[in-house]
Amino acid sequence: MTAKPRVQPTAPKRPISITAVVDCVGALASDSMQGNLYFYDTNKAGGSAGFGTEALRTKVSRGDQLLWGVLALECEAFVAIEGIEIDRDICEPVRKVYPGTDVAYWIGTVKKDTAQPIPYLIRFQVGTRVEPITTTTPPMLVG
Amino acid sequence: MPQQLAIIVLVDVGNALTAESLKDNVYLFDNMKLHGSEGEGTGDLVTAINGAYWRDGSQASEQVLNWLPYSLGSIPPTVPRGYQADRARQSDQEALDELDALTSKPPAAGNDTASQLAKIRKTAGTRVKTTRRTSGRMSGQKILDVTGNVVGEGETHAYSYPGPVITDIYGQAVDEKIIYPAEYGSPDLVTDGWYWSATVDTSRPGTYAYTMRIQLHKLVQRSGEILWEPVNLTCESRLRVTAEPRFNAFTGGGMGLLPIPPVAYSYPAAPTATDETGES
Repeated sequence: MTAKPRVQPTAPKRPISITAVVDCVGALASDSMQGNLYFYDTNKAGGSAGFGTEALRTKVSRGDQLLWGVLALECEAFVAIEGIEIDRDICEPVRKVYPGTDVAYWIGTVKKDTAQPIPYLIRFQVGTRVEPITTTTPPMLVG
Repeated sequence: MPQQLAIIVLVDVGNALTAESLKDNVYLFDNMKLHGSEGEGTGDLVTAINGAYWRDGSQASEQVLNWLPYSLGSIPPTVPRGYQADRARQSDQEALDELDALTSKPPAAGNDTASQLAKIRKTAGTRVKTTRRTSGRMSGQKILDVTGNVVGEGETHAYSYPGPVITDIYGQAVDEKIIYPAEYGSPDLVTDGWYWSATVDTSRPGTYAYTMRIQLHKLVQRSGEILWEPVNLTCESRLRVTAEPRFNAFTGGGMGLLPIPPVAYSYPAAPTATDETGES
């Protein structure tokens, strides 16, 4: 019988934060996120690309925790993530709130490495508009 | 038109601290894209400031700039003011409750007090020591992770960076008296009670650079104590000031009476019998 290799406990990595900056006034005026959305993440050193565009390419690998958040370009405006549509075999983001607040974030773990880029969509609640506005150019997770 | 212009300074704090530079680690936005600002969402923003003057050449409106520094990938600025202090107090209370429950248990074989104390220590989290240099808004706070939970000893790798703080605005635009920046107190929830603001002299059109000194905080361990060490870095941006005669934006004409076009007034018709009965 061969002994199983002992797994060294490793410090969990910092989650990769993916932040959407939304120009709420522009999005409401044009009923579209096109030109009114800027994506960033905290994994530039790891190889992410497309910063400041709608087509962010976040470099991920299996086990990475991803945390999606949103900032409004004007502090009086309201914007929130209503949903994230992504291949459930890759990641299942769930909505959580910061303890003691109603400020939400979405969090999920990358289930497996992927050779192909994984595009996904984000639905945003903007202002008092009832219908959410969805990204027009999908951001991607890349392996 | 008098405007409150907001300039968001989004800093990738982790990468900036690693690189010891804000170059390529700061992203700037303003709300003047439709009015001619360029480079939105990049480190090379040119903010359009469209001034207006009266017939005699004097400045007709005042443009006001407000700077909002945010941290990329930290707890967002939209959580309630004092959130870090609230979370520190909540975790203290939870730890006290757990300690109370532990001490009220009868001593019995099988009670692993050491592991329960370790659990309480984890609940209590890690408090950041403050020195005279680092005291202030982060005094007595605990280390929180990016999901707002306290971080225990030995787990400080996943902490959320405190938001960046602008400590000065200077450079060409200030030296040439184009902008008059100062820091003001504010009841605004998203800026921790302080913000930098400036009025603009739009009588001298041109492109002017200015520099922001931004303070970030790095978590360091020194002599067994954990401290937020301030790191001061700078980044530059530009303002493009233009000026044109003041005009009425509704009519495109000069300033005068209200922009209501004259309409021939006609008296309403006398009510008919059907109107009085309410039938149609």
